[in-house]
Amino acid sequence: MACNYNILSFPCIGKVVPIEPLTLNTNLNYISKPCTKTLISTVSVEKIPIAGKFGSFGGKFVAEVLISPLAELESEFNSVLLDHEFKMEVATALRDYVGRETPLYHAQKLTDYYKNINGEGPEIYIKREDLSHGGSYKMNNVIAQAILAKRMGRKRVITATSSGHHGVAAAAVCAKFSLDCTVFIGTKDMLRKPSNVQLMELLGAQVKPVDGSFQAAASESTREWINNLDTGYYLAGTAVGPHPIPTMVREFNSVIGKETRKQAMEKWGGIPDVLVACVGTGCNALGLIHEFIGDKSVRMIGVEGGGGGDLHSASLVRGEVGVYHGAMCYLLQDGEGQITKTHSVASGLEFPGVSPELSFLKESGRIECYTVTDQEALDVLEPNYCIHLINNAAYKRLCRLEGIVPALEASHALAYLEKLCPMLPDGAKVVVNCSGTGYNDAPTVLNSIPVNEN
Amino acid sequence: MAFSNSNLTYRATVIAKPSYPSQSPLTFNKATSFRPKSFSISCVMTEQSTNSSAATAAVAVAVDDQLTVLRPDALGRFGKFGGKYVPETLMHALSELETAFQALATDHEFQKELDCILKDYVGRETPLYFAERLTEHYKRPNGEGPEVYLKREDLNHTGAHKINNAVAQALLAKKLGKERIIAETGAGQHGVATATVCARFGLKCIIYMGAQDMERQALNVFRMKLLGAEVRAVHSGTATLKDATSEAIRDWVTNVETTHYILGSVAGPHPYPMMVREFHAVIGKETRKQALEKWGGKPDVLVACVGGGSNAMGLFHEFVDDKEVRLIGVEAAGFGLDSGKHAATLTKGEVGVLHGAMSYLLQDDDGQIIEPHSISAGLDYPGVGPEHSFLKDIGRAEYYSITDEEALEAFKRLSRLEGIIPALETSHALAYLEKLCPTLPNGTKVVLNCSGRGDKDVHTAIKHLQV
Repeated sequence: MACNYNILSFPCIGKVVPIEPLTLNTNLNYISKPCTKTLISTVSVEKIPIAGKFGSFGGKFVAEVLISPLAELESEFNSVLLDHEFKMEVATALRDYVGRETPLYHAQKLTDYYKNINGEGPEIYIKREDLSHGGSYKMNNVIAQAILAKRMGRKRVITATSSGHHGVAAAAVCAKFSLDCTVFIGTKDMLRKPSNVQLMELLGAQVKPVDGSFQAAASESTREWINNLDTGYYLAGTAVGPHPIPTMVREFNSVIGKETRKQAMEKWGGIPDVLVACVGTGCNALGLIHEFIGDKSVRMIGVEGGGGGDLHSASLVRGEVGVYHGAMCYLLQDGEGQITKTHSVASGLEFPGVSPELSFLKESGRIECYTVTDQEALDVLEPNYCIHLINNAAYKRLCRLEGIVPALEASHALAYLEKLCPMLPDGAKVVVNCSGTGYNDAPTVLNSIPVNEN
Repeated sequence: MAFSNSNLTYRATVIAKPSYPSQSPLTFNKATSFRPKSFSISCVMTEQSTNSSAATAAVAVAVDDQLTVLRPDALGRFGKFGGKYVPETLMHALSELETAFQALATDHEFQKELDCILKDYVGRETPLYFAERLTEHYKRPNGEGPEVYLKREDLNHTGAHKINNAVAQALLAKKLGKERIIAETGAGQHGVATATVCARFGLKCIIYMGAQDMERQALNVFRMKLLGAEVRAVHSGTATLKDATSEAIRDWVTNVETTHYILGSVAGPHPYPMMVREFHAVIGKETRKQALEKWGGKPDVLVACVGGGSNAMGLFHEFVDDKEVRLIGVEAAGFGLDSGKHAATLTKGEVGVLHGAMSYLLQDDDGQIIEPHSISAGLDYPGVGPEHSFLKDIGRAEYYSITDEEALEAFKRLSRLEGIIPALETSHALAYLEKLCPTLPNGTKVVLNCSGRGDKDVHTAIKHLQV
């Protein structure tokens, strides 16, 4: 299939005005073809399908030297999507190693909590990605890509990680498939989550510190890849990157949504009414919502990190269009096109850029985007509380009501239920993606909140 | 599912006539209604030899297949082990619990509810994972060796097998109308599992934990509080698990009408060993089904670590009557069996009564409990479940021990070979594969219970391993 790309000979970061302003309304029909999505508007603008682009978002804003390896990756990816053996191998690994399918859990106590005085309210279901091996949805993508790397004859995986969760997942899977694993991590991030560094080393990965934070680590890992194109495989952990990375990461995570459809049919004989997920770069959100994009009745809500004070990481809500890590997308940038500093108590949400596909879905109105502050996700309004009181912190709410400890990232999605549920009709089916377990977030929470000694 | 047949609470087993102390008379019931097909167990004494194709380490046991012994019998005994050595105040509560448990075994609604919780909340069924690289690691130079499968209990909600029992007991407590739950915990894993289910079911939760353990496991203490539990420090004795258990029993004696005690293992007075085993038996049931799907047969060898013995009983129980299936339990040898610092109850212990049951335990000549040691807190228990003591005595199961150092090596080995970080407890079972696999014939199917994940142990392991 012929592909047209916006190719620049050097990476470009800065304020970019969209070349083709979109006037799509919310009536989108998605027709899926192997590896690409063709978007057809039912109302106004007819668009020529371009692989790697989601409207004006996406593309391949990379150095010339990466064009060929990306094309090779795309070609491999196209072919495995039609390869039964590959799909079986991935499915077996997902079942036996990762522990899929993950349950769609009816959170009865959370549902009761949101009932109004008439006893009416939505039904809350939680998609339990926290039960996957590694404790988050990240394995879905990492394991499929590792199998792809082996298929391509690569012996070495190169990746970059911010908080370390992706690095740990990559290291684990490389151990399983006896691939060498090199993980680049910023020194600032290493200090925040030293336990993840220990985990990666225990799993046999080579951890390479880079001065700075994720931005620097990602650049360094790209450089490493360029220098080892024959033997190395760059394992992308975020949904932001040059084509085919956003599509690949989304496809490999889309098992979440596929299972949800099947489980929803089994449980209530229908589809969800509302899907809610937190958004860092958008992998877990896309994984859940992608399956339902063509189902017009399904509302999709992405919740970003509203941080605290002036600092946040709400790329979709407050960002502007620009190019980040090889893709045109919404990103947080200043007046001169420099990337602004981001913050969220949930390190997995702290990305200045976001998936080009989500950027497109937001601009076209298919997905609603909101923010939740650190405080709403985590903190209490009162410094002390009795163990018997339910407080306003989403993290602690799920612990106390359901005995599930959500990741701080997922707590953002759960916090949004406070605003969402009172507006929903009785019996509306809400599916929230619990993207990871917060078991290892306990130290962060411990340092933020006093817990009353009773 | 906790129960799949009626009368699952009692299983007939054929054993030889053991010798019993004269002060504990036992009643043997002929199990006429569910007498197994007659067979005899005859175990031959063989030496463990590296080139033997079927090395067994069993004790010669004479068998009389006219005599059947229940597991447990009406008094809660497994042979001479088990029983109900408790203050009078607890007798009624224990009888009430037993009656309720037996009633629920045939209660379709209860089983359906439990099934649903195990599926949607706990995340069952857990996979039976073929550990390809571990299997390769154990291949001999001629390319032969056993096939190693891991039962992935580490993928359960809360990261260990403990939730199977906690969730079922919490549901049982609700049916009994109890609103208050107490539990003991050593490292905090069982405490976290109990706090989890209490949050889920809206029950008040009090966890007893040794003060020394609380200091070592501050993060788990915080997790329990986050989940809404009250954690009470125990300062008596050595301020560790056995003292926490004693305190929990004391609380139960005082509050027996309103309180249910969620015991974390197959130890304690009857009906706990039987109940906890039944609630964990889902592990073995799933294994049977998955083994059939994967290779059309049964496992040849089952391996599990043994602290109190719950994860091991959960895996073994389904296969106890399949005599060709070898059952291997692995305890903690700590600094070594001769060091005096270990927790190898079945190897070095003597028969006595602890926490309401007769079983092997680590005791000195005065009958005082010897403080055990293991790098893994979950195996750091001076007693063991009475059913394990029984299975050991009749030679149905074999028990070995593994030192801290061997366990740490196994911890690293599984992480590096399969990308699965096992709990230090599980690492003991994994370490035993080093000794076991060279003795097994080509293609032997070994199933090892990966009873928990090891994120909690990384700091300890790194300190000792210097990765």
